[in-house]
Amino acid sequence: MRVIPQGLKAKWFWYSLLCVLCWGAWVLCSKLGTNEIPASTMQFIFAFGFIPVAVLVLVMKRVKFEKSAKGIAYSLGNGILAGIGGLTLFAAYRSGGNTSVITAATALYPLITVVLAVLVLRERLNWLQMVGLGFAVVAIIIFSL
Amino acid sequence: MHLPPWFWFGLITLISWGIVGLLQKLSTNHLSAEWALVWLAVGFFILEPWLYPGKVLLTYSHRGLEWALLSGVFNALGAWALLAALKSGGKASIVAPFTALYPIVVVFLAPFILHESISALQAVGIVCALIAVVLLSTESSTA
Repeated sequence: MRVIPQGLKAKWFWYSLLCVLCWGAWVLCSKLGTNEIPASTMQFIFAFGFIPVAVLVLVMKRVKFEKSAKGIAYSLGNGILAGIGGLTLFAAYRSGGNTSVITAATALYPLITVVLAVLVLRERLNWLQMVGLGFAVVAIIIFSL
Repeated sequence: MHLPPWFWFGLITLISWGIVGLLQKLSTNHLSAEWALVWLAVGFFILEPWLYPGKVLLTYSHRGLEWALLSGVFNALGAWALLAALKSGGKASIVAPFTALYPIVVVFLAPFILHESISALQAVGIVCALIAVVLLSTESSTA
């Protein structure tokens, strides 16, 4: 019984909870925005929301510039792909589908990451991930009905 | 089989973000999480010339534009909080599945804010998806 109060004292718990709440708010704001604004314009404006947070992170942490060409290339690729994913997510919300269903379906992206990690990084799936793959397939079939 | 219109858009999101998950692992092998976040934001801006809507941007309501901007701020804050959780001693094997539960916030708030409800079958799908995402977010072992 002492585990729960100790967990609540941990900073990481509250940061994780903040992350969940922020991402929940991101989805709701996205849906409300797409009621009026087209997907491409939503993604255009969305990108500007990253500026204050990126500046804050650099100022608060006082991180020195890191010039790893590989790291920068991977991260830029990340931004481009995340932007394309964001664009199609806004399009999905704008198409009139149920917000909770679309959010749960697109949150399944670790499914692709896990499969790629096996193929590219030669990681092994643990048994929990294998059960997770099964649940993901069932969820996708249900959402496609 | 007739798939709902959102399905194909959602599938592209799923695949793009799935690849992002992999690239994130690779990028943080070379950069701190903070710089990885900054360069990710720069990556967003590479797309901006193709997304620029022109003067029509000024015709949208202030409220609509605010939702769009807030969407970006909340997404970035969530990403920062995830980094902070990992930096302040949270194990990736616990923090990743925990933070993957953000759709729960949407499921609970959507009826009140968006006036949307879900069918029993959709609820089963959402529960399966949440279980899946938590299990998939557990750490793999390296071969």
